[in-house]
Amino acid sequence: MPEENISGVVLTFFSTASSVGKTLISVNMASELARQGYRVCLADYDLQFGDVCNYLKLPFERSIKDIIDVMKRNPDASLKDQLTTYRYGTVSFDVVPSPEPMEDAYNVTVEDCKKLIERLRLMYDYVIVDTTSMFSVLNLAMLDLSTIVTFLGVVDFIPTIKNMKMGNDTVKTLNYDTNKIRLVLNRSDAKTRISMDDVERLLGQGFYHVLPNDFQSASESIVTGVPLALSGSDNVLAKEIRVLISRYTNRVYKENADFKQTIYQSANTEYSGKRQNGWLSKLFH
Amino acid sequence: MQYKIMLVEHDRLMLEQLSKVIETAPDMELAARFQSSGDALGQGKVFNPNIILFDTDVEGATEKLREFTGAFPHAAIICTGEKWLADKTSHYIQAGASGYLIKPFTYNSLREALMTYAQSGMQLDSKVITFFSPKGKSGKTTVISNLAIALSRMTGERVGIIDADLQFGDMAVFFNLEPQSTIVEAARDARFLSPLDLRSYFTKVTDKVSVLCGTKKPSLIDRVSISNLEAVIKMAKAAFKYVLVDVPPGFNPTSIAAAEMSDYTYVMAMLNGGYEIKHVQRSLDVFEAWDDFEDRVRVVFTRVVPCNKEAQEKISDAIDYDVDVLVPNAYMMVSKAADNGQMALDLEPEGQFAGSINSLADIIIHQNDTGRGAKW
Repeated sequence: MPEENISGVVLTFFSTASSVGKTLISVNMASELARQGYRVCLADYDLQFGDVCNYLKLPFERSIKDIIDVMKRNPDASLKDQLTTYRYGTVSFDVVPSPEPMEDAYNVTVEDCKKLIERLRLMYDYVIVDTTSMFSVLNLAMLDLSTIVTFLGVVDFIPTIKNMKMGNDTVKTLNYDTNKIRLVLNRSDAKTRISMDDVERLLGQGFYHVLPNDFQSASESIVTGVPLALSGSDNVLAKEIRVLISRYTNRVYKENADFKQTIYQSANTEYSGKRQNGWLSKLFH
Repeated sequence: MQYKIMLVEHDRLMLEQLSKVIETAPDMELAARFQSSGDALGQGKVFNPNIILFDTDVEGATEKLREFTGAFPHAAIICTGEKWLADKTSHYIQAGASGYLIKPFTYNSLREALMTYAQSGMQLDSKVITFFSPKGKSGKTTVISNLAIALSRMTGERVGIIDADLQFGDMAVFFNLEPQSTIVEAARDARFLSPLDLRSYFTKVTDKVSVLCGTKKPSLIDRVSISNLEAVIKMAKAAFKYVLVDVPPGFNPTSIAAAEMSDYTYVMAMLNGGYEIKHVQRSLDVFEAWDDFEDRVRVVFTRVVPCNKEAQEKISDAIDYDVDVLVPNAYMMVSKAADNGQMALDLEPEGQFAGSINSLADIIIHQNDTGRGAKW
């Protein structure tokens, strides 16, 4: 695949608490964008305990460590061959898996991780980065590099909200454009005793988007390894994720678009503009 | 108790300065003062002191200390010095000293030292326990805070919590505290403190349980160096019987340093329908590098439903490692308690959650001290 000098969009999922659904949402974001015909790469930058391959039930082949090794050994080598491809029906996207042996997590530098994303964004329309829940050097580098950062939050109890507030305030001190950071609430536990209005007041800003609580479907999709965005599920979480993505891609989400068809009939015309690019470049690869 | 103090201070000016502090104190009596240890040993008995403040900034302090403990078996000996050093203090305590005080001291710090050391002495057989989680959201903070209360109630001993989850420590919120000082200040000052002074950086939760709270802003972590954190943990060992350390998730310099210094490391994860078991397994693989890993590494799972013996066996089999305790899903209770600044342990003292915490406390209290830890 020829590398163009047009950079794709880098979407990073970040949070200040674990288990808020970063991996679930990034996997679905990748799936939905791929389904719409974009060239998508999902990078698992939770280097120690990444779950992307677990969630997609991808067998472990080459991790970020191996990809970076190749990139360093031979800067001209095609990275595409090094990535792991996830396929479901006719939808596919590439994955940068986190390392299997723990020591490999220590053996990738922040600089290399950055370079990899810089390379990938020349090859893909969307590069999606899943992170860990802390302000590490790596995560800060990813925030810098990203087109859009989705700051995922969950309202469960006070300490989590305190951390969301601290995290949000910290991100604000980095002085990114307002449009770059999007606060998304994942209502992963509906039993919460805290109201969303209170949280928004505390944060001093509203949520860009709120995802509904649907622990059941989320768990199921983790068990089956099929992202909600691809399973044809019409449950409320899958729908909302699609709505969220359509907001990211500045497109109106059509609820009645024949979903199954888009997966199984690959040359879908509805999304022809971007799809042509993605589709053709795949053919010429 | 009226303190009858014998002051042994080799520096003439310091002797004057410290004497003044004692002389002006309402509840203390300066029974005698000496500039030479020999004089004090020979003549001090006449004054029948119950407290001896002994200047250790001299050659052969440990040997002299032994002579003092022999000559004054009924007095509590508190060492004084300009700098606290863990290994030296260890020798002093072994030689019979009850505590250590940085000089020059004020009336308040002297009084606190007397109250603390004259009663119970300095902790030597303390246990440091680090709570490690692969990915965060492990229920760690809940377990640590409730465990601290349980440990103190069951033993009557002092428990210190160090919130070294430097970016997002939740201890202060959990206990509803407004800390005057945090780990940032403690780490900054660690090298100039004694264990007694260190205790004032902790915020009291109960009479026996105190917390060294985490940073107020994530950006402050840069101010806590690993070596200073180590100094804080080492010193906390002298101030508390149990030191519980909360660390950031995953393997990072902080969590590794704390685990290395601990007698025990608990690997904790919350069952959330994801790959938590696998993450614990991978963490255990890393800890396996320690020779005495099986003695020092323990496992706890939280939010386990149903939370029973079968589940414990099943999980133990899955990770091929003993699980000490399972903690049930106590979300509503813990959340209610956390919101109100109460302890979940107390909401339902007979409930399953309290049961789990108490068994964990029991295990920690009664386990044989086979851990390596940092012995000093």
